[in-house]
Amino acid sequence: MTRMRIAYQRFTSCSGCQLTLLNCERELPQWAQILEVVDFAMASSAGDDGGPLDLALAEGSISTPEQLRELMHLRRRARLLVAVGACALTGGVNSLAGSGPDLERLSEGVYGQPAVAREIFPAQPIGRFVAVDLELPGCPPEGRDYLALFGALRHGGEPWQPGYPVCMECRLRENLCLLIEARQPCLGPVTRAGCAARCPSFGVICEGCRGWVAEANRGEQFRLLLELGLSEEEIRRRMERFAGSGHENDLR
Amino acid sequence: MKTICVEPLTRVEGHGRVELGVQGGVLRRVRVALFEAPRLFEGLVLGRSFAEVPALICRICAICSGVHRIAAASALEQALGVGIPPLASKVRELLLLGGHIESHALHLFLLILPDLRGSASILPLLADGDRCAHAGLELKRLGNRLQELAGGRAIHPVNVEIGGVVARPPAAGLEALLLELEDWQTRLAELLAPFATADLYPPATPALGLRLSVVGGENFGLQGDSLLLGDGRQVPASSYAGLLAEQSLAYSNAKSPGGGPFLTGALARLDNHARCQGRPLPASGSGIHANNAAQAEELHWALGRCRVLVEELLAASAQEPLMNVPVTRAGVGTTVIEAPRGLLVHHYQLDGRGRVAAADIVTPTAINQAAMEAQLLADLQGCDEADLSQRAQRIVRAYDPCISCAVHVLRLK
Repeated sequence: MTRMRIAYQRFTSCSGCQLTLLNCERELPQWAQILEVVDFAMASSAGDDGGPLDLALAEGSISTPEQLRELMHLRRRARLLVAVGACALTGGVNSLAGSGPDLERLSEGVYGQPAVAREIFPAQPIGRFVAVDLELPGCPPEGRDYLALFGALRHGGEPWQPGYPVCMECRLRENLCLLIEARQPCLGPVTRAGCAARCPSFGVICEGCRGWVAEANRGEQFRLLLELGLSEEEIRRRMERFAGSGHENDLR
Repeated sequence: MKTICVEPLTRVEGHGRVELGVQGGVLRRVRVALFEAPRLFEGLVLGRSFAEVPALICRICAICSGVHRIAAASALEQALGVGIPPLASKVRELLLLGGHIESHALHLFLLILPDLRGSASILPLLADGDRCAHAGLELKRLGNRLQELAGGRAIHPVNVEIGGVVARPPAAGLEALLLELEDWQTRLAELLAPFATADLYPPATPALGLRLSVVGGENFGLQGDSLLLGDGRQVPASSYAGLLAEQSLAYSNAKSPGGGPFLTGALARLDNHARCQGRPLPASGSGIHANNAAQAEELHWALGRCRVLVEELLAASAQEPLMNVPVTRAGVGTTVIEAPRGLLVHHYQLDGRGRVAAADIVTPTAINQAAMEAQLLADLQGCDEADLSQRAQRIVRAYDPCISCAVHVLRLK
């Protein structure tokens, strides 16, 4: 079988999504057989031949005109475009720097005058500009998300993604419920599963890095966290940190 | 003056470019441009509660997420006047070492080994069954497993919060690791030999830069409360800003001696440590590429130190506390720590409500930028134009730059 031509590009981000792929140490040798890496600057210095792509992976938010140009170019070349990680899907942590006058003021504070002259705009999810075919959620995603992606595409399908929240996976692992039983502000009920409830299984509350589960009952989650004694401001900050305000979902 | 752009920089973390100014066939000027889109971490934490900072700050960078989170927690704990229980300190150190091992293994086997073998990436080496490449990946995986055990997750480890750590590493996982750590120490020398082989590196002039590292005591380590310089000076952590500004200013006006750039990272750590012990390192013929060999040497030390820590963690009683509860108050805290690629500083000021009033983060790649430019200028003299790009890339790679981390340019005050 011919190998899948893939590119992995990175925009405004921490490289965590790309690193997660490189953290699949045991699978990399197998993937070397089925993937033809056309462009992946962090891992390979082989020049991009500019040809069409079977699969383009994109990490990070868009916050400069150059990045927007690169994104459009990537979308045109690729049969399938996968947005990887919270930054690409909702803006993630990048969005916390605010917008408008806030952004300019922060820029000047951090970089001094020269940087304000650079054109930057508030970090946007990729889906704001182009059609996204598949999503790999998380901050970062799990190695298994890549396994499922490559495996499914290799066999002519698309990866199945759970429509249920992290709580299901916690129950399957017979974990103590951190929200109800330990009275901690766990975001499991409103967060998409797929991570095998990694953090609660370790003993730490879910921080919601995989974003909103389908039909998330945000109102009830809000009420439960109020009962725990958190302020409204803190609840909103925790719930929106990776998942965003939720308006993005309406754009699709 | 003709400008040759080496772009994109590949097999490094982050977005960067080298601009080479050639005039009359001679390389006259070098500029290293690190152009990550700004994310403004030092800005976005302003006004937020101290409790929010660790989970946000680790997102500066994936490879260094553990050390950023630990540094931030430690600086904030200082500001709050709260210490962490001894067990938490050990768990954090294990996380730190796991990150160190993973980062060095990533650098050596995915980013440098392809150059030594003449390949564009590790993938063809894996396809050919290169034993070094395969074993290197296993070592990298070990680093990740250490981080998962100590931090809950390798990237953006959730186990570090203000006051200590949240959960204990599971004993079963620690026991399994102990056997492997013993096994690795016997395999390591052969695996790492290529990186100390001088002929595999291009011709190089001596590594430039005043060595800068963290010092914490007599033994080699990554944590401490003072900075050590190659000229023998020791400076308390809280004076970092004056030291870096002074040196930068001196360098940018540098027609005068002593105003050179800093060098931080594995080579600087080992050089400084050797000097402390009264046995200065012999100058290696590989110049800055000796940083790769230095990283290899640190892997030996890191694995040994992990074994000790894992044994201590397994021996610790079930009753030992993991977390001290911080009391909100105003304060200032500065932590200096060795990230895999060099000195990292986190500095915070909290107001009376425990909200961040000021934040300053100085990363090793920002510190090394001046040294990188000076080294490129020195090493590329007389290099054929056809080879310039590849040679320049190899020099930049030797620093193991982490460009996402370079959250702000070094400000001259």
